[in-house]
Amino acid sequence: MSLLQVDGITKRFGGLTAVNRFRLDVSAGEIVGLIGPNGAGKTTVFHLLSGFHVPTGGDIRFKGVSVVGAKPHEICRRGLARTFQIVQPFVNLTALENVMVGAFNRTEDVAVARERAAEVLEFVGLGRRRDVPARQLTLSDRKRLEMARGLATGPELLLLDEVMSGLNPTEIETIIALIRRIHARGIALLIIEHVMRAIMALSQRIVVLHHGETIAEGPPDAVARDPRVIEAYLGSVP
Amino acid sequence: MTGDLLLQAAVSGFLLGGVYGLVAGGLSLIFGVLRIINFAHGAVMMLAMYATYWLFTLLGVDPYLSILITGPAFFAFGMLVQRIVIEPNRFAAEHNQLLLTLGLALFLENLALVLWQGDFRTVRPAYAAASFVLADALVEVPRLIACAGAVVMALALFALLRLTDVGKAIRALSEEPEGAMLMGIDVRRIRAVAFGIGAACVAVAGALVAPFFYVAPDVGESFNIVAFVVVVLGGMGNFVGALAGGFIVGLAESLGATLLPGSLKQLVVFALFVLVLLFRPAGLFGGGHGR
Amino acid sequence: MAADAGAGLVLALLVVVPPFLPPYFLEILISMMLFGYLGAAWNILGGYAGQFSFGHAAYFGIGAYTSTLLFLRLGITPWLGMVAGGALAAAFGLFAGYLSFRYGLRGPYFSLVTLAFAEMLRVVAVNSKAVGASLGLVIPTRTPAPGDFVFAGKLPYYYVILAMAVGAVWITRRLETSKLGYSLRAIRENEDAAEAAGVDALGMKLRAMALSSFLTALGGTFYAQYFAYIDPTITFGPAVSIQGMLQAIVGGAGTALGPLLGSFVLTPISELSRAAIRGRAGVDVMLYGLVLMLVISFLPHGLMGALPRRPRRPQP
Repeated sequence: MSLLQVDGITKRFGGLTAVNRFRLDVSAGEIVGLIGPNGAGKTTVFHLLSGFHVPTGGDIRFKGVSVVGAKPHEICRRGLARTFQIVQPFVNLTALENVMVGAFNRTEDVAVARERAAEVLEFVGLGRRRDVPARQLTLSDRKRLEMARGLATGPELLLLDEVMSGLNPTEIETIIALIRRIHARGIALLIIEHVMRAIMALSQRIVVLHHGETIAEGPPDAVARDPRVIEAYLGSVP
Repeated sequence: MTGDLLLQAAVSGFLLGGVYGLVAGGLSLIFGVLRIINFAHGAVMMLAMYATYWLFTLLGVDPYLSILITGPAFFAFGMLVQRIVIEPNRFAAEHNQLLLTLGLALFLENLALVLWQGDFRTVRPAYAAASFVLADALVEVPRLIACAGAVVMALALFALLRLTDVGKAIRALSEEPEGAMLMGIDVRRIRAVAFGIGAACVAVAGALVAPFFYVAPDVGESFNIVAFVVVVLGGMGNFVGALAGGFIVGLAESLGATLLPGSLKQLVVFALFVLVLLFRPAGLFGGGHGR
Repeated sequence: MAADAGAGLVLALLVVVPPFLPPYFLEILISMMLFGYLGAAWNILGGYAGQFSFGHAAYFGIGAYTSTLLFLRLGITPWLGMVAGGALAAAFGLFAGYLSFRYGLRGPYFSLVTLAFAEMLRVVAVNSKAVGASLGLVIPTRTPAPGDFVFAGKLPYYYVILAMAVGAVWITRRLETSKLGYSLRAIRENEDAAEAAGVDALGMKLRAMALSSFLTALGGTFYAQYFAYIDPTITFGPAVSIQGMLQAIVGGAGTALGPLLGSFVLTPISELSRAAIRGRAGVDVMLYGLVLMLVISFLPHGLMGALPRRPRRPQP
């Protein structure tokens, strides 16, 4: 079942075209990787999908309904959640309170939200930190907290924006395992990542973005060998 | 007849607008470099007006000449205030920095009230009532001098910003804070200098309006609000925009006073403020930092 | 919490002791409670939602003028007029709030626009003969009539404002543990992240604005009935806006007890300074300015933030 249909979206900022006729389909339960050199427009795509930017052209349909012009919280209500490239915790709230905010997406009841938040925190491995103010959490914990907050909103599609950046190899392993557990719960994932081995291992399909346009799409090993992809990352092929 | 009245209002308002532009220019500069909205701007102007008053009343110094004293003095005062009060809090949340300058404003305004009480005082040198007629409009000489003085000061500042190293550093810091730091610019010093220049602007403006205004602890408040309006109109951080905005607001306020009864003229300024904030937050001329 | 026990004790004293106090002290207590109340009302929008309004005097004035005009012109009891004033203030708050939030005004820009709205109301009131212009309105209080919110002596007024202050704290507590409370704090911390987590930022901020402005207006009615005189410069003036804001910030914005704690500290400072330097207006506000600068610099979370916190229980 198709969850997300991105139909040739374009985003222009003044004279700069950040994203150009970008197409993407994500089905329920899929893991899709989104890669590309810095400045390729990947995070802009995330902003467009989650409602923080409005596309200059094109359409985005989530579960069959167009979400262009919808506010971020409306899109979240429908079942699309995201994390941010630079992690954005609610620093003066505890880890539990942070996740509760997400849990309120599915309930009005405080006790239910608290229970759900506690459960999600356990799931991401932060159960022991539930009463710690977010400002005291390490970067790795903050990344998991942000994922937990997104998960608590009850999404069908979760957008992860470079969740592994700034983490050491052990922490990266933890995140990879977490992503697999999330996937096992039936949640579709669209992942922006620079840690190549991780995204190659996790993704069923990879889309490569360069200067705002798709230059390759396909299974990980095919994309890794694609000369256009290699050229985009390394300059011209020798 | 109404035409005459309107013309008169336009001339008076336009002339005062020059001073508004200077005051706002200082505020805009401070915002550009320090990224704070200096709520104490009007209070510093008020203090400078008192300084002008005391120099005139006790020592017979002509208000315009006193600029040679108050200008540098308030520049130093501004740098001092920035170093002591604002710099230590430069990493505080935006709204906290606003509250900081609010606290400073309350402190300075009421310090003046405590020291010198609320009586209106005036600075009236011999030429205070001088005027001449120009094409059916009465031009008051002090207003004309004030406008001219403000424009001269603004041009001097513009030259400073364009031509001197300090000026370039200020512009660099306004546009690219991180880049400026990497270029080895002494950021702390420039921040203090920027605030000092802002204080000097209002000091000069204060001396220029003293001959036709009144001096009291609350005189800064009206200039404060107008300065905010002008800065938003001209674009936050846009120095030239502030000058242009000053003339526009001066005109609007004065015409409003002619057309609206009582003190309703203030509505014009506030309404303009709200409208620009809502619909053109980057200012009429753009180049501002928006919301 | 230890703070709760302390608050309970203080409340007991506040109920039991005042009948024995001389009028001067009762006056101070009433001021203290009123400012604390205004602080608590401001706190809902400022401390919890993180939207610092510099123009809450707008709602205070609307409350004061609405109930007073209804009383003077139509003989409607201020107890009802209070609610009408609150509703009108909430409507104005929603209007001003919608404009501001819808057009994305945040931080200092929001603060300035709220100041502008309050000032506009002040100017209109000063220039409107219908509401007494700059002379204001006088409320006849020679014959006590509790049904009309007119009491003999100060004590009844004290208990009214005490009840209002306690009510405001109670409402804040309920807010803290509600979905709205969590949403507001998320918005305060990071509005974009909150939106991404499903929080309707605009809707929640408007709710906070409506509640905050409604409560503030009730304070305006109290002021009118207690002082029996209102004028636009006071009721719509920046002093009222700043008073409310100050109690919350000094005491601890975003905490239920903060505004009252702030008031307990600031009001005596104000009184003592005025008593110490008689005949010189402005000493108290000068000290307010100094205190504000000091608090921002050294105690950014206010006095409540300086109190020792009971460490949270770690999970087993």
